[in-house]
Amino acid sequence: MRDSPMLNDDAMREGQLREAFATHVQSGNRDLAIQSARLLLKDFASAKTYRFIGKIARGDGALNLGLRPFRIALLSSFSIEFIQDALFAQGVANGLRVEFYQTGFNAFRQEILDSSSGLYQNPFDLAILAVEGDDWLPEAYSRYSLATVNHAILKENFKSEIAAMLGRFRANSRSPILIHDLAQPDHYLLGIADRSNEKGQGCLVGEVNDILHEVCRQFSDAYVLGYDALVSRIGRERWYDQRMKHYAKFPLSQDAVGALAREFMRYCRALLGLSRKCLVLDLDNTLWGGVVGEDGLEGIQLGPTYPGSAFVEFQQNILGLHSRGVILAVASKNNPQDVDEVFAQQSSMVLQRADFSAFEVRWNAKGESLKRIANQLNIGLEHIVFVDDNPAECEHVRMLLPMVTVIQLPSKPEQYSKALFDDGWFDTLSVSAEDIRRSALYGQRAQAEALRETSTDLEGFYRDLEMTVTFSPVNEKNLSRAAQLTQKTNQFNVTTHRHTEGDIAGRMHDPAWTLAAVSVKDRFGDNGIIGLIMACLVDKELAIETFLLSCRVIGRTVETAMLAYLCEAASSRGASSLLGKITPTQKNAPARDLYQRHGFNKESVDEAGTSVWRLDCEYSKIEIPKWFKFFND
Amino acid sequence: MDDNLEQSIKRVMSDILNIPEEMITEDTASDNTEGWDSANHIQLVIALEEEFSISFDVKEFEALLSFADIYEMVQSKI
Repeated sequence: MRDSPMLNDDAMREGQLREAFATHVQSGNRDLAIQSARLLLKDFASAKTYRFIGKIARGDGALNLGLRPFRIALLSSFSIEFIQDALFAQGVANGLRVEFYQTGFNAFRQEILDSSSGLYQNPFDLAILAVEGDDWLPEAYSRYSLATVNHAILKENFKSEIAAMLGRFRANSRSPILIHDLAQPDHYLLGIADRSNEKGQGCLVGEVNDILHEVCRQFSDAYVLGYDALVSRIGRERWYDQRMKHYAKFPLSQDAVGALAREFMRYCRALLGLSRKCLVLDLDNTLWGGVVGEDGLEGIQLGPTYPGSAFVEFQQNILGLHSRGVILAVASKNNPQDVDEVFAQQSSMVLQRADFSAFEVRWNAKGESLKRIANQLNIGLEHIVFVDDNPAECEHVRMLLPMVTVIQLPSKPEQYSKALFDDGWFDTLSVSAEDIRRSALYGQRAQAEALRETSTDLEGFYRDLEMTVTFSPVNEKNLSRAAQLTQKTNQFNVTTHRHTEGDIAGRMHDPAWTLAAVSVKDRFGDNGIIGLIMACLVDKELAIETFLLSCRVIGRTVETAMLAYLCEAASSRGASSLLGKITPTQKNAPARDLYQRHGFNKESVDEAGTSVWRLDCEYSKIEIPKWFKFFND
Repeated sequence: MDDNLEQSIKRVMSDILNIPEEMITEDTASDNTEGWDSANHIQLVIALEEEFSISFDVKEFEALLSFADIYEMVQSKI
């Protein structure tokens, strides 16, 4: 009903966006104008909207907008001029001012094959050849006759024709050409028996498309648009408008027009180097359900059941983008340790810390984080796609950094992937091994720079944490926690010996053993017991049997404080050296350079890879870092 | 005549045919209006369908030849 509140809200929002677009064009705010056009087309795509954008962007006020001219030659077997309004509007939303060279109805063969045709007299940046399957090969799409079709001859003829056309085209133009492949027929002449019959139309069309790809590969800058796939995606029944097909010789519905115009833009962007390069992601309610700072590690949703499974899928799709060269980054307002914990301990996480080339987990504004990311990775903000579930954050970024492409996630996680993929922001015309390598390079480079930049800030960072570290004897009260730590800690664990409460209890009263439960408090709260030391005195050596730290407190020099404690313990028991072992496992990479970093000498390595390290406590005493307050219980 | 409907139709016609709303009368028709060619006629049909969330048959496309025709047809469908 016309007056329902929801429709009125929509109408109001559409009005606001239209006004914004007109204003930005008037003021010459290019990025904001482009953004408004994009938002209008996203939610209010219609013939009316295309005309509106067209009128304003072609008006006098638009001359200063700095839209990039882009000439498209449209060649088709149908009245493709009806797509021009949509394509022009989509062009505006991508910073382009599209001009058309429209060839005559069904005159595509003549225009391409005749070197003196209008096509070649009018320079263009891209030629689009959109021919429906039944116009290319009427015999293959016959509604009534299969018997007369000789597939081998049909395919040969098609191959020759395409090759001849491309050859002539290339001889007369250097511009890229985009050719639709052939969509499957609406109905198969053989009905359900078609696919199981090698003489079927389905097979033939597929084989013809293979030939199209094969021939295009032989020419430079000849690309195939996956038309059949696009039609399938939108839905064949939604795609075609039978009335318009007969009346206007334009077989596409308005839905198809919108989808096709968007699809063309993917190619235009890729051709012009406007593809996005970096995906910056929020974390809470984006990579997982819930808010980790509030719900805790156990409370967030990520796993085999809904909604966790939808988030898993989304992460998989993001990883897929990464695997073909897209750079990933995080911009999240969270405590770093909460986030670290998820990456370290949530076993359903598909994305790993190492997949991200930049990781801005801090409480400042997202706009700031985005700028830092762009800086760090040395890419332009216009190459970034920012994804967040929070409308306020999205709006903030849209206003502060209008050149950033903002994707506000829909309300349901199962819809996230579509929101990310629909526009193909990261599409390139080909994916090279270099693209795939580059992403890894960005990560390494960024880490090196970050280390250089922040090395002077590290001390400040540690001080800022205001950490208090406490060493307590292991007793009945914390025995359970101590045993649990040995069983669960995998990353910062040098020997990964698992112990029961019984094992540890046995050592509690054994004078040869030095046991210490390590707790850390910081500015954000009390972390409780997060480390464990167990060392045994043998002659004048204090041998470290267990040395572990919860991942929550990795990277804060707590381990240095613990080694300092051990040095003290050693000298108070008359031991002159500390002995430590490192047994490498799949998960304990963070711990493997512990002793090396603290000045121990490597004494031996066995075949299993276990290394033995020694520190002379008198000469090389380790001091507790000055940013700690410490207590001995 | 429903004023609202009249205004809405005139607005659509004005947008497509590029003539001021005030110049559209009951007699405005494809055979007396410059710019109302076959291409624009198709755009007009699409625009009317969109504006009023209605659908025309092919036979009806051909019958939408004047403002009066359009008014009558649209009114019968909404």
